[in-house]
Amino acid sequence: LNTILKYGLEAQMPWRYLTITMFSPLSTEYIVAFNGYFTAKARSHFISSALKSSEALDWRIVPRKNPASDFPSDFEVVQIRQASHSSLLTLEDHPYIKRVTPQRKVFLPDPGATCNNDTRWTQKWQSWQSSRPLRRTSLSLAFGFWHATGRHSSRRLLRAIPRHVAQILQADVLWQMGYTGSGVKVAVFDTGLSEKHPHFKNVKERTNWTNEKTLDDGLGHGTFVAGVIASMRECQGFAPDSELHIFRVFTNNQVSYTSWFLDAFNYAILKKIDVLNLSIGGPDFMDHPFVDKVWELTANRVIMVSAIGNDGPLYGTLNNPADQMDVIGVGGIDFEDNIARFSSRGMTTWELPGGYGRVKPDIVTYGSGVRGSGMKEGCRSLSGTSVASPVVAGAVTLLVSTVLNRELVNPASMKQALIASARRLPGVNMFEQGHGKLDLIRAYQILNSYKPQASLSPSYIDLTECPYMWPYCSQPIYYGGMPTIVNVTILNGMGVTGRILDKPIWQPYLPQNGDHIDVAVSYSPVLWPWAGYLAVSISVAKKAASWEGIAQGHVMVTVASPAGNNVGGEMTSTVKLPVKVKIVPTPPRSKRVLWDQYHNLRYPPGYFPRDNLRMKNDPLDWNGDHIHTNFRDMYQHLRSMGYFVEVLGAPITCFDASQYGTFMMVDSEEEYFPEEITKLRRDIDKGLSLIVFSDWYNTSVMRKVKFYDENTRQWWMPDTGGANVPALNDLISVWGMAFSDGLYEGDFTMADHDMYYASGCSIAKFPEDGIVIAKTLKDQGLEVLKQETAVVEGVPILGMYQTPSEGGGRIALYGDSNCIDDSHRQKDCFWLLDALLQYTSYSMTPPSLIHSNSRVTPPTGTDRPLPERLEGNHLYRYSKVLEAHLGDPKPRPLPACPHLSWSKPQPLNETAPSNLWKHQKLLSIDMDKVVLPNVRNYRPQVRPLSPGESGAWDIPGGIMPGRYNQEVGQTIPMFAFLGAMVVLSFFVVQLTKSKNKPKRRKPRVKRPTYLQQQQQQQLAPTGKNPTV
Amino acid sequence: MPSVLLLCLLCMAHPVHPHLIQVCGGVQTDTQMATSEYGHAMVLRRLLRKRWVLGVVFGLSLIYFLTNTLKQEERTIRDRTLLEARDPDHRIPWKVRFNLGNSSRPITQCRNSIQGKSLLTDELGYVCERKDLLVNGCCNVNALSSRQYICKSCLANGCCNIYEYCVSCCLQPDKQLLLEHFLNRAADGFQNLFTAVEDHFELCLAKCRTSSQSVQHENTYRNPQAKYCYGESPPELLPI
Repeated sequence: LNTILKYGLEAQMPWRYLTITMFSPLSTEYIVAFNGYFTAKARSHFISSALKSSEALDWRIVPRKNPASDFPSDFEVVQIRQASHSSLLTLEDHPYIKRVTPQRKVFLPDPGATCNNDTRWTQKWQSWQSSRPLRRTSLSLAFGFWHATGRHSSRRLLRAIPRHVAQILQADVLWQMGYTGSGVKVAVFDTGLSEKHPHFKNVKERTNWTNEKTLDDGLGHGTFVAGVIASMRECQGFAPDSELHIFRVFTNNQVSYTSWFLDAFNYAILKKIDVLNLSIGGPDFMDHPFVDKVWELTANRVIMVSAIGNDGPLYGTLNNPADQMDVIGVGGIDFEDNIARFSSRGMTTWELPGGYGRVKPDIVTYGSGVRGSGMKEGCRSLSGTSVASPVVAGAVTLLVSTVLNRELVNPASMKQALIASARRLPGVNMFEQGHGKLDLIRAYQILNSYKPQASLSPSYIDLTECPYMWPYCSQPIYYGGMPTIVNVTILNGMGVTGRILDKPIWQPYLPQNGDHIDVAVSYSPVLWPWAGYLAVSISVAKKAASWEGIAQGHVMVTVASPAGNNVGGEMTSTVKLPVKVKIVPTPPRSKRVLWDQYHNLRYPPGYFPRDNLRMKNDPLDWNGDHIHTNFRDMYQHLRSMGYFVEVLGAPITCFDASQYGTFMMVDSEEEYFPEEITKLRRDIDKGLSLIVFSDWYNTSVMRKVKFYDENTRQWWMPDTGGANVPALNDLISVWGMAFSDGLYEGDFTMADHDMYYASGCSIAKFPEDGIVIAKTLKDQGLEVLKQETAVVEGVPILGMYQTPSEGGGRIALYGDSNCIDDSHRQKDCFWLLDALLQYTSYSMTPPSLIHSNSRVTPPTGTDRPLPERLEGNHLYRYSKVLEAHLGDPKPRPLPACPHLSWSKPQPLNETAPSNLWKHQKLLSIDMDKVVLPNVRNYRPQVRPLSPGESGAWDIPGGIMPGRYNQEVGQTIPMFAFLGAMVVLSFFVVQLTKSKNKPKRRKPRVKRPTYLQQQQQQQLAPTGKNPTV
Repeated sequence: MPSVLLLCLLCMAHPVHPHLIQVCGGVQTDTQMATSEYGHAMVLRRLLRKRWVLGVVFGLSLIYFLTNTLKQEERTIRDRTLLEARDPDHRIPWKVRFNLGNSSRPITQCRNSIQGKSLLTDELGYVCERKDLLVNGCCNVNALSSRQYICKSCLANGCCNIYEYCVSCCLQPDKQLLLEHFLNRAADGFQNLFTAVEDHFELCLAKCRTSSQSVQHENTYRNPQAKYCYGESPPELLPI
C-alpha cells in the first residue's frame, strides 16, 4: 500500500490512496462578467475605460483560443498584476460590467506523488454566467436537457458552472418523492470525520482502525466524501437521511495497511452495511488477502463502490479494488461530459498475458470540480475519481432506499441497473467510459421494475463499432490471425452464487455470414460472488480466408442460481450475446507484426522497475506492457501505417512464424525456455524478422534502486532491470549479438529527429557486417551510483543485421524502450520503428541511418564482460519459465500451447437487429411502469462563485420537507443557553445601573468610556475604582 | 462561549474587584440607565448583592456549562476507547451469549453464513450445500450433505481451509471455553468487532474470517491453505 523509495530522494507512494485536488484561485486572473453579450472589441473597450482611472495598473486580456471566441460573449478573462481591491471596485463600477470574480485553476498532482513536476498539468477553468432561468415544464423534456451527451450543444456554457452534483443528477426528483436514503447503512472508508460537522445529521458510528488515536479527519478527504454522500445542507449530498458509518482507515499521513482494512471490513460485515464507498485504490490486485476480503464483502451483500484511479490518461492504470468484477468501478468526467484527464482507463491487466482484459470502469460520473463538505464546515470544490466514487455511492444509497423489496437489491442487481441506465458518451471508447454516464432517474426506474436475472457487460460484441469498441474496431479480423478475445463479465442478480447451465451455444446467422467465423467460449466454473467471466474467442473460418465482409451471430448463455424459495430449485436466466465482426482477407506476411506479450512481466506481484530511472515517484512497471495499455500509441501508429498487429500470449513455440513478417519483443523481463531459443533461431533462418527494444540492466543500479516498502515491511530488490538483458542475450547470442550492462541517458539527434534516450543499455556485441549507430550519451549508471556526471562518446545504441542464410530474416536491436512506451515518454520514436519495420519487413535499409556519420564499426564485446543475472534474485517466484531449484533456478518443462475448443455452431436462419446496443438492455424492464410524479422542479439559479462565498448556495425550500426539525434533542441546550443569556443580560443591566448611582451625586465625567479604556490600559494597577 | 459566560458570572460573584465588572458589563453605557427610578434600582441592587441570588445564577450557569461539556466528552470517550491501547490485563467488555446446543426450542428461522460459494453453515452448526438450504435459512438436516459441528479441513491449531467448516467447528459447544479465553485476551484491535458480537454464532462468523492476524507482509497469507481460524493462535507462518 505504501512504499518508500530509497533512491536519490525519498518519496512516498500511497498505493491505496487516490488524491483529490483542490481549486486554487489564480491571484492575478479575473473573470469580468458583462450585462450582455458583446464583441471582443467592445469588451476590451469597456474594460480599458473602466480601468482608465487607475492608470498605473498593469493589465491585459487573456486571449481565449476556442471557436467561441469569434462570437459575442458575456465575459472576459483579465490578467491584472498586483490587483488591489479598489481596482476591482472600479471595474465593477462600469455600467456594463456585472461582476468580477477571480479565475480559478485546477491543480492535479500525480496521484500519490508528493512532488512530481513532470506529470503535473493545469487546466484553466472558467465560470460562465447565465441569466437564463432554468425552467422546466415536463420531466421528459428535462431528461433530454440534463442528460444530453452531445458535447456541442449550446448548453455547454451552463454545464461549466459548478453546481450541486446531487441536483445535476436530479436527486431532487427522488427527494420530492420522499426518498432520502433513510434506513440505508452507508460506510465510508476514508480519513475519518470530525464529530460536530454541521453537514451531517445521522452519523451512526465512527470507528478508527489506524494507529493514530483520533477519529477526526485531518485531511478533509473523508469529510468531502461523506459530504457528497450524505451532507444535508449547503453542498447537499444524495442521501442525507442515510445512516453513516465512518471507518477511519487512513492516517493523516495517508498511510494505510491491508491488515487495517481486513479488520475494518470484518466489522462492516458484522454491522450489515448496505453500501460501502472506497475512494481508494492501488495497483496491487495480487494482494490476495485484500481481494478475497472484498469478494467476501460483496458476498455478504455489501454494495461496494470504488474509484477507478487517478492515473490517466495513460492506459493500463486501473486501480484495485475498482477493477474487480463484483465492485462498481467509477471513472470521472467533467461537467462538459469529457472524460476527466486524470481518470484511470484501459483494460484490466489481471488476465495477461494469455487472456484479454475486462472492460472497466463500469460507469463514469462527475468527478471534476464537484462541491462537497469542507473539513470543518462550508463547502469546497475538489476533483478526482475519489469524488466520482461517492457520487455513485450516494446515488446508490438513495436508490436502495427507493426499493420496497430490499431482497431484490444486491451488488449485482444494483450494478445491472446502473449500467443498463447509463448514458453513453459519444466519441469515447468503452475502456474509458465503461457503460457511460450515471443516470440516477433511469436507474431508479429500472431498479423498481427489476426482476432477478443475469446480464452481460459488455452486453454485445460489435467489432465494427468505432470508437466505442476500440481497440476491437481498429483492426478487422482475418483467417490465420491470433483469435480475438473479448472478456465479457456475467452479472448474476439472482444470487451470490451461480453457474452456467450446459454450455454456451454459438448460433451463427446464416443470412449474415455467421458461418464465416468460429467462436470458442471459456467461462468461470462458478459465478461467485455475483459475477463471473465469459471469454469469447473469435477466429475466422478457413473458407473465409480471402473473403471480405461482415459476419454475425450470437452466443447464448443460460445462468442458473439456487432459488431461495424452494429447496433444490434453481432460477435460470438466458442471455444472448450478439456478435458482429468485420472480416478481411489475410494480409501479406510483411504487413503482419506479432507482439510478444508472454515475456513481459510486471508489478504486481514482483518488483519490476520502471524503464525510465528518472521517474522516481513511479518506480514500478505496472501498466501491463500491452499494445492496448501503455503501448497504445505505438499500436495506433502501426495501424495507421497499415500494419496488422497481433499479440502472442504464449511461448514462442506456439505460433506459426511463416505468417508474420516481424516479431517484436519490447522491454521483456521474462526468461526463455531452451525450446523457444531454438524455435526462434529456426524461424529467423526461414525469414521471420526480429525487432528487440531492450532496456537497462545493471546489477549495481538494481541494488541501488531497492526500496523499503512500508506496506509489506520489507526491502524490495528488483528481480530484473528495466528489461532482462541476460535472458535476452541468451536469446540473441547465436547471431553474435549482446546488450551491455551500461546505463545511458541523454538527448541526441538521429536522422533529423530529436531523440531522448531514457535509461537504456548499449549494444555490446554485434556481427561485423551489421549496421551499428552510436551516439554521445551521459553515463546514468555513474550518476545513480556516485552522483557524478560523465559523457560517453560513441555509445552503440542501434543495430541492424541481415542474417546470412538464404531467405533469412533481419534483426534490429535498440537499447531503450521508453520512446515507444506511453508511460513517461518524452519524445516518441515511432519514425524509428517505421524505419526498422521497413528494414525487417521489406528489407529496405533506411538511407538516413546508413549514411549517417554516427555509424560505427560494430562492437566485438571484448572490452567488457557481458551482464550476469543479479545474484539471489527472486525472478523464479514470478516467472512462468523458471522454477526454484537447489542452487540456481531451472527452467520448467515447456507448457503445452493453449488450445481452444471451438463451439459447435447451431446455425439460425435469422438476421440481427441493425443496432445491437439498443437491443441489449435488461429483460422485463418496463420503464413506463414506474411513474415519476410530475413534480415542479425548482432549481436555484446558477451563478458563478464570488470570492469568499464558499458556502452560500441557497437550497430551495421544500426539497427535504420537515427534515430539519427532527433534531429536538439538539434544541433543548439552545433554549437553555438563550435562557442563561437572558438572565445574564438582566444582571448586567442591573449592575450597570447600580454603578451609575454615584454618578448622580458626583460631577459627571465627560467621556467615561475613554477613561475606562485608559484604566484598562494601565492594567488597573492602583486597585482604585474607576471614576465613572 | 459557555466559558466566557462563566468568567463573567465569576467576576460578579466577587464584588471585591468591581472594576472587573466594568470589563464584563460595562459595554452598556450609563445613558440607557439615566431614566431609571432610583428607588426601584435600589431594591434590585440590594437583591443583587445577596449572595444566594448570585449563587443561584452561578450555579445554573455552571450546571449548564458542565452538562454541555460532559456530553461532548462522553461521546468522544465512547469513540476513542474503541481502539485505544490499553493495559494488557484489561478485558474487552464482550457480551456474547453462548447457546449450549441443548436448546429444546424448535428453531423456525435460521441465520446462516450467507457468503459461501457452494457451502453454508447455519446457526445450529450444520454445514450443507446451497441446494439443501431450506426456505427458513436452515440446512435441511435430512439432506445427505448436511453435517453438524463438522471440523473438516481444520488443523489442530484451530485453522481451517474452508470457512464454513471453521464456523461449524467453532459452534461446537465444547469450544465455548476456548472462545471465552480468546475473548478475554483479545487484542485491542479486535475490540470494535468482538464487543459488537452478540452470540455464539455471530462470534464464530466473525472469528473465522481472515483478519490482520492472517497476513504476513500485509499482502500474503501466513498460510493460504489454512487461513480461517476459530482458535486463538494465528495461522502457522509458511515461508513465501
